[in-house]
Amino acid sequence: MSVFADILDRRELLYNLVVRNLKSRYKDSVLGFLWSIITPLFMALIYLVFLRILARGIPMEEILIGVFAWQFTAQCVGNGLTTITDNSNLVKKVYFPRIILPLATTFSNLVTFLLSLVVQFALVAIILAFRGQHLSAAVLAVPLLIVYHTLFCLALTLFLSCLNVYFRDIEHLVNVLTTAWFFLSPAMYSMALVHDLAARYALPALSSLYMLNPMAIIITGYRALILPDASFPWSPSVLAAGALPILFLIAAYILFQKLQRSFSDFF
Amino acid sequence: MNAIEVRNLGKSYWLQGSEPQTLVGMLTRGLRHRQRKLIWALNDVSFDIRQGETIGIIGPNGSGKSSTLGLIAGTTVPTTGTITARGRICSLLELGAGFHSELTGRENIFLNGAILGIPRETIRRRFDAIVDFAGIRDFLDMPVKFYSSGMYVRLGFSIAVEMDPDILLIDEVLAVGDVAFQIKCLARIRDFQRRGKTLVIVSHALETVEKFCNRAFLLHQGRLVAQGEPPEVILTYLKSYMGEGSAVHTVEYGSRDAEIAGVRFLNAAGRESGAFETGKPMTVEIHYQANKRIEQPVFGFAIKTGNGLFVFGSNTQVAGFSIPAIEGPGVIRLMIDPMTLMEGNFFLSLSIHSWDHTIQYHRREDWYPFVITHAVGALGLFHLNARWDIN
Repeated sequence: MSVFADILDRRELLYNLVVRNLKSRYKDSVLGFLWSIITPLFMALIYLVFLRILARGIPMEEILIGVFAWQFTAQCVGNGLTTITDNSNLVKKVYFPRIILPLATTFSNLVTFLLSLVVQFALVAIILAFRGQHLSAAVLAVPLLIVYHTLFCLALTLFLSCLNVYFRDIEHLVNVLTTAWFFLSPAMYSMALVHDLAARYALPALSSLYMLNPMAIIITGYRALILPDASFPWSPSVLAAGALPILFLIAAYILFQKLQRSFSDFF
Repeated sequence: MNAIEVRNLGKSYWLQGSEPQTLVGMLTRGLRHRQRKLIWALNDVSFDIRQGETIGIIGPNGSGKSSTLGLIAGTTVPTTGTITARGRICSLLELGAGFHSELTGRENIFLNGAILGIPRETIRRRFDAIVDFAGIRDFLDMPVKFYSSGMYVRLGFSIAVEMDPDILLIDEVLAVGDVAFQIKCLARIRDFQRRGKTLVIVSHALETVEKFCNRAFLLHQGRLVAQGEPPEVILTYLKSYMGEGSAVHTVEYGSRDAEIAGVRFLNAAGRESGAFETGKPMTVEIHYQANKRIEQPVFGFAIKTGNGLFVFGSNTQVAGFSIPAIEGPGVIRLMIDPMTLMEGNFFLSLSIHSWDHTIQYHRREDWYPFVITHAVGALGLFHLNARWDIN
């Protein structure tokens, strides 16, 4: 396909943009890259304390995994929105395949995520060791899930970056929706809570509906692969829901390629 | 062989009004029945540019010059028509457009190179040449946000010319930096021409178009209204769309007892022209019409640069050229020989007034544009008659 040839042809640009994003993000801060670890750690700590007060016990390692995974998605939403508008100068003045910009945003967030995962794995391993447990052997499959997660993040970035060129107020809408989405995703609670609710209100469909949220699949997936006693709720409906991010990616790509033709008319 | 072929090219924009587009705005637009207006920035333009040609595109503001370059560069997509370009295109549309202010000069050289599609290996090999050409070696590891605007564009230009494009698009960027850097830039442009590259230059500096281009295109309101030899096209431009009431800053007043009926600029060969050379004569033929008998009229003139700097002014009274009286039509000639102005766009003002300056019969300020080009090596606004002596 010609788009892959285009991207391959401009891989130096992609690489340079990823480096630029990473360098400029932490350039003027004292702690630099550490912020991308401190932020989810603080979040995890706050939820942990808060949930203890509410007397809803949830294992610390589950929160850590949930919050770090959420952080990757949230960053792609935040940076994805402004990927094209922040580079309006470039888009207007120089021709290059526009898809390089959302790719660069996604990849630079991926790099941050991978580095933060090192810290996350260390912390989770320590917590498990205190209980005499080890990381699950399935952890070797985590890279596959990261690829899946990245494709979903790319879809978000493609979708939001091109819409933001046309409608500048989408940013506010997205901020509100992202907060709601966070609570609809099992970042600071586990699937057990969802099953409890489904049982209490006699709504067996709730669990299946819940899995339509790609972040529910992704976070539950990370936990199942990393933790020894967590499991993934395999079922035909979950498998079908798992195809949603891929369909979303295809749709976002088609939309992006359609809209990118007139990007420069809007700056 | 044609490097660029353009057929029936059109580009339209929806004029959205001053408010930014928003999702809420789109949803409520139907309720407000707002009329959106379609603006044609370019309309049915066709031309060919042969390989190795240097084309100058001129025209008033908003005539579609920059849109044309954007379409050739591929940053915008045509609404109608087609563009076929053969070879690699580089656009010097805005120097340093891809710089990131937080990154250092060194980092930006590689980033900007990648944006322009220059292989990293080439940049690495030519790194020292780029830095020296831009003259920023001492500031290499400083974020470019601390650079002066001159350093910024110098670095941008230095990187861009390292690309070896087949077609180079230049939008108003030749006048960057100080005089010394401009000379270096122009030398690079000449070098491109010598190597048979195709250049398309958009410029308000008509002397640049006159000096560098094989052909000129004149755009007006999105249409290609003239093309051909630069001096002729420039003359058409000057006569049709600048001066004579159409330029922005012109002023005209007077009692009209005597009127300036027409003006012709003649070059050394006595032919009508819009462009003149330093060191050669320029004659301005002023056709007047005196509607009543006027004793001892005074004809005056003044010259300003395109930027409004007053350069010179005089009149027949100051020059000791006494005119007893005028009545009916007549012609008076103003001869400037040799022309001592150096290159640039200039405006001529003309006036007819009474001997004691109390009555202005007719006065046209900044009314007549003309262009000066020069071939000698000297620089500046004026050619001074300077000599050297050594004991």
